[in-house]
Amino acid sequence: MTETEIPEKQEKRSLRFRVVDILLILMMVLPLVTAVALRVLLTPPEEGVAIHGAWVYWCANPDADLSQVISTDFMITEAQVNSWLVMISITGLALFLTHGLRERATTVRQHVAEWVVEKVEGLVTSSMGAFHVRPFAPFVCAIIALSVFSSLMSLLGVFTPTSDMSVVSGWAILVFLVITAYKACCGPRLYVKTFTSDGPVVAVLNVIGEVATPVSMAFRHYGNVMSGAVIGVLVTTFLTWLSSLLLGWLPGVLGEIPLLRVGLPAVLSVYFDLFSGALQAYIFAMLTMIYVGGGFPLEEYVKRHSGRKARQGETARAA
Amino acid sequence: MPQIQPLGVISINVWSALISLANLVLLYFLLKRFLFKPVHKVLEARQAHVDSVYAEAEEARAEAEGDRTAWEEKMQGVRAEAEGIVNRANERARLNSDAMLDEAKRRAAGIVQQALEEAQLTRKQAEASMRREMADVSTELAGKLLGREINENDHRQFIDSFIEELGETR
Repeated sequence: MTETEIPEKQEKRSLRFRVVDILLILMMVLPLVTAVALRVLLTPPEEGVAIHGAWVYWCANPDADLSQVISTDFMITEAQVNSWLVMISITGLALFLTHGLRERATTVRQHVAEWVVEKVEGLVTSSMGAFHVRPFAPFVCAIIALSVFSSLMSLLGVFTPTSDMSVVSGWAILVFLVITAYKACCGPRLYVKTFTSDGPVVAVLNVIGEVATPVSMAFRHYGNVMSGAVIGVLVTTFLTWLSSLLLGWLPGVLGEIPLLRVGLPAVLSVYFDLFSGALQAYIFAMLTMIYVGGGFPLEEYVKRHSGRKARQGETARAA
Repeated sequence: MPQIQPLGVISINVWSALISLANLVLLYFLLKRFLFKPVHKVLEARQAHVDSVYAEAEEARAEAEGDRTAWEEKMQGVRAEAEGIVNRANERARLNSDAMLDEAKRRAAGIVQQALEEAQLTRKQAEASMRREMADVSTELAGKLLGREINENDHRQFIDSFIEELGETR
């Protein structure tokens, strides 16, 4: 009987392990609590319908005009802070999932971690080819995770970083840089040739299309999430107004309760916060993979790479 | 502390965008280091373990196969040896039985020979003693018949010759 008990005892987590676990869970949860606390403590209570961008927690230039479209003043906005907090949460989640990995998977979290890694790698393989899996799987995972968890922050009632145009623009610029780097990996001549191969008129269109890629990606993501939030606010406000109009005659407190707000906003929230958030993250990641995979001259790269390798081998043999 | 204000709905801040870009790069490295690397490590360790288990199984199978062939060869040898032993034993038994038969025959012949010789000797003795008695009797008879004492020696000679004759005619 004692022989069967020994592995069970080994299976039991040590105190140290559990303490680390709790710390990691705190690392996941505390940033979200912090986001809510910052929102509650720093922003003034809102009256009526208010549709605006992120709150500016701190700005280097106190006299800056915050209503302009493009600003260059250094500032810390709610979107940025929430973005950092979400990153801490994601890192905590990653650490939690990979905490206590074993060759023989016995825990749910290990299965989840392996599932995530294999799913993302499968996604990258199917849309970009196996050549890009190693460097690109973490990048795609980072995009999806950051986008999804940022969008899901709307469930906490705080500002979602993805509905801030600066945030998604940053991602889109990074994606654009990656696309360009991959396109230009075989020298600038080949990179220019990808635009000019079909004549000068098409070349202009190609350049415009190239620049439009990050812009469209940023606007698509930002617009979808932002519009969801706007529609949510509008519908809720409308229902409150309708409720007071139809049920205002009820006596006492009953008339002040916006009963019609029960139901529809929740359904809309499921669509705009959960579904749309996940969908936009998926679209953003898919577009990244398609643009990079499509722009990368794989055959040329392999040809040059193998040629260089062969030359290196020859010189090595000569030496 | 001044009242904090919100941005416009459509607004881009250059610094915010750059920070966001850096955030994504940072998260890329964080996930690569803290999610993909450990999971890959575990997956590779598992793959290596599975490979080694397969190799071990293959090795054990080959070993068992080798054992089986060796055992079969040995069995074949043992069977041949056993056959040889039985054959040799049979041969020896046959030789033994032949020798024993010869011996028995030989001894039986000896016994018969001896018995014949003994019988002949006995007959000769019997003949001799009979002749003597007949001589005695005939001497006495002749003495009685003739009423006189004949020379016993002469007489004996006579009778002996007579018996000789008798034996020859018979």
